[in-house]
Amino acid sequence: MMGDRPSPPSRAMSSAATTSPSVDKVDGFSRKSVRKAKQKRSQSSSQFRSQGKPIELTPLPLLKDVPAPEQPELFLKKLQQCCTVFDFMDTLSDLKMKEYKRSTLNELVDYVTVSRGYLTEQAYPEVVKMVSHNIFRTLPPSDSNEFDPEEDEPTLEASWPHLQLVYEFFIRFLESQEFQPSIAKKYIDQKFVLQLLELFDSEDPRERDYLKTVLHRIYGKFLGLRAFIRKQINNIFLRFVYETEHFNGVAELLEILGSIINGFALPLKAEHKQFLVKVLIPLHTVRSLSLFHAQLAYCIVQFLEKDPTLTEPVIRGLLKFWPKTCSQKEVMFLGELEEILDVIEPTQFVKIQEPLFKQISRCVSSPHFQVAERALYYWNNEYIMSLIEENSSVILPIMFASLYRISKEHWNPAIVALVYNVLKAFMEMNSTLFDELTATYKSDRQREKKKEKEREELWKKLEDLELKRGLRSDGIIPT
Amino acid sequence: MDAFKLMKELRVNYEQEAHYLPKETGLSLIESTTEDDSRISAKCRDAKVEDLWSLTSFFGYSTQTFVLAVNLLDRFLAMIRIQPKHLSCVSVSCLHMAAKVTEEECNLAPTGDLIRIGQCRFTVSDLCRMEKIVAEKLNFKSKAITALTFLHLYHQIALSHSTDRKEKLSLEKLEAQLKACLCRISFSKAKPSVLALSLLRQEIEGVRSEDMLEIAYHIQRHLKITDGELLLWSERVARCLSDYASPECSKPNHKKLQWIVSRRTAQNLHSYRVVPELPTIPEGCWDESESEDSCEDMMSSGEESLSSSLGSDAEGPFFPLHLRRQKHRQPLHA
Repeated sequence: MMGDRPSPPSRAMSSAATTSPSVDKVDGFSRKSVRKAKQKRSQSSSQFRSQGKPIELTPLPLLKDVPAPEQPELFLKKLQQCCTVFDFMDTLSDLKMKEYKRSTLNELVDYVTVSRGYLTEQAYPEVVKMVSHNIFRTLPPSDSNEFDPEEDEPTLEASWPHLQLVYEFFIRFLESQEFQPSIAKKYIDQKFVLQLLELFDSEDPRERDYLKTVLHRIYGKFLGLRAFIRKQINNIFLRFVYETEHFNGVAELLEILGSIINGFALPLKAEHKQFLVKVLIPLHTVRSLSLFHAQLAYCIVQFLEKDPTLTEPVIRGLLKFWPKTCSQKEVMFLGELEEILDVIEPTQFVKIQEPLFKQISRCVSSPHFQVAERALYYWNNEYIMSLIEENSSVILPIMFASLYRISKEHWNPAIVALVYNVLKAFMEMNSTLFDELTATYKSDRQREKKKEKEREELWKKLEDLELKRGLRSDGIIPT
Repeated sequence: MDAFKLMKELRVNYEQEAHYLPKETGLSLIESTTEDDSRISAKCRDAKVEDLWSLTSFFGYSTQTFVLAVNLLDRFLAMIRIQPKHLSCVSVSCLHMAAKVTEEECNLAPTGDLIRIGQCRFTVSDLCRMEKIVAEKLNFKSKAITALTFLHLYHQIALSHSTDRKEKLSLEKLEAQLKACLCRISFSKAKPSVLALSLLRQEIEGVRSEDMLEIAYHIQRHLKITDGELLLWSERVARCLSDYASPECSKPNHKKLQWIVSRRTAQNLHSYRVVPELPTIPEGCWDESESEDSCEDMMSSGEESLSSSLGSDAEGPFFPLHLRRQKHRQPLHA
């Protein structure tokens, strides 16, 4: 539709900011907000290169206007017509034909949804061909090198008016009652899947959403492709983690994986366990974790619900990759850890409680108040509290020193108040141990103070000595 | 201080202690009250004293402050009937008053902090007013002779008599045990000297020292404490301490505590529960073997060893279908 484009795009596709005017630089840092305001919502597509001459399609009659026996053939003809791809970057070209294709696609979507007996064997290759022609394309390179997935607006696909309908059509085709995977598998094969997976890198979130559904249906229906799909997703993730750190479709792929993991049969295959340890855990190290963390955490928790014995490697993995400089990530990790603890079995808990609470103890002392707050909030979780109570003799000594210290030293009063809650809980949990630790802590502190005092006195003595010596020899005080 | 002087001091304190005892009838009244909104019961007094202990510990106040605070509280409660809703204010006032007496000025926590940390509902001015009321009612007798006073004296006496036994009788432990007892209102009825002696004896029996036991007897005779009284309280103390030391923890009442978090943290707390949109795809056990396009053989090469790599190079992704079928029949290496 003509009205969809918000602004006339230029042939030169990059409309994103390149140089910021000097007025934007404040304190040497360019003002990102100002830059964004100037940036228009850009579109791009590397799909079509203009041929020069206008495209002509002979209008076909509507399917509903044609008797039933003739419909299958008309259906095929329409599919073939829709293989023609238009250039949406040029807003003025082929307007009539674009509209014709759009309405044809619309018609096809309806047709596939309601009709019976239309799906002949000949239809399959034509459908796949039409879909392939429309959606498979080399994705344009990202407009700006500084594209920040969290902040900047994504570049949208210009041909979305047609593309959306193609996806819609394909999904309904796959979901149709008449759909037979045994026929379709000749055409929806590994090559098709591979190209589909590449499209997940699209910047357009609407497209990725459709792709997610498409791939999910394909995985569900084509048993023979499942192993291949899993392997390719592994490759994508591994490349993402270890080579490029760039891929826009991680969240969507993880969502699909979530539904797959949910359906794993027990006992879990070794392949799946490897996937967890070699792919999912390392995914946590990526800088753009916030974009897909919710989906990733869901996958992890699903795994643990399937096989609790995986708890130890998972938590050790998380602890190994614990963020050291990014507080935002630390908060995410703490959230995920809490979700894991929500489903943990007590026997598994006991295995990892020591390294776990050593890390929590560090988080609780963090000068970043959000990290400290999030960690302290664990004590408001009833199930976690019950686990801590059962093992207070191990956990309390680990937590004690940092809790006591922050109660005196932390700059944030809200944190100090939360620490009180935690200390109180511990006090009630295991009074004798608490008393012992308090006594030891106090005596340790006193010893430290004594040492400090001794050290200071020693230095003072040395200074005096130095002065005396200096004065004695030549009367000049050494500097 | 030599033994003689210590004994003399003991005597003096013993004669004075009655002045600082809470009224027994008042205490009994509290003990007999059932849970009620209009009167203080033993349970709510005990809970409040535990809170006071938490605050003492948190702010680094000494046991002396705590013991004194409890003494002031009990004396006040035994005298004046108050509504449970005021108990918090009264107890914190007592703590603050005790701290002013015992602690150094620089270690005194500001009243604002006391209120904030203790999650109290009253204001600083409320606290000041209450302090004045309590002080007045108690005839401004803020310093008191408590069980701790006696405990310290007993400990010193024991030390002076047998220097090599120093390590065995830990004052900290005794103080902690005293604190545990004070959390129950029944022990406020005991005479401080008797309570302290019971604790001492309990501990001595624990370390099984005949010499120490001698000393304890000596003190008992010096103060003319009857066997019956001592036995009564010793039994109660023993029971209390066995509860205290038991591995069963009392379930923390964390529901009462407020967990106030910042807005940002609160926002993120529940954004994690991702509700899956996509329906689950069940894995069939016959999944892979059904089809000829299976690549699973490649994967199972790394069965239990986690060191084998995923994504083997046995077959590249762009391998054409018809060629792949042929290759499939060749033996695959691990």
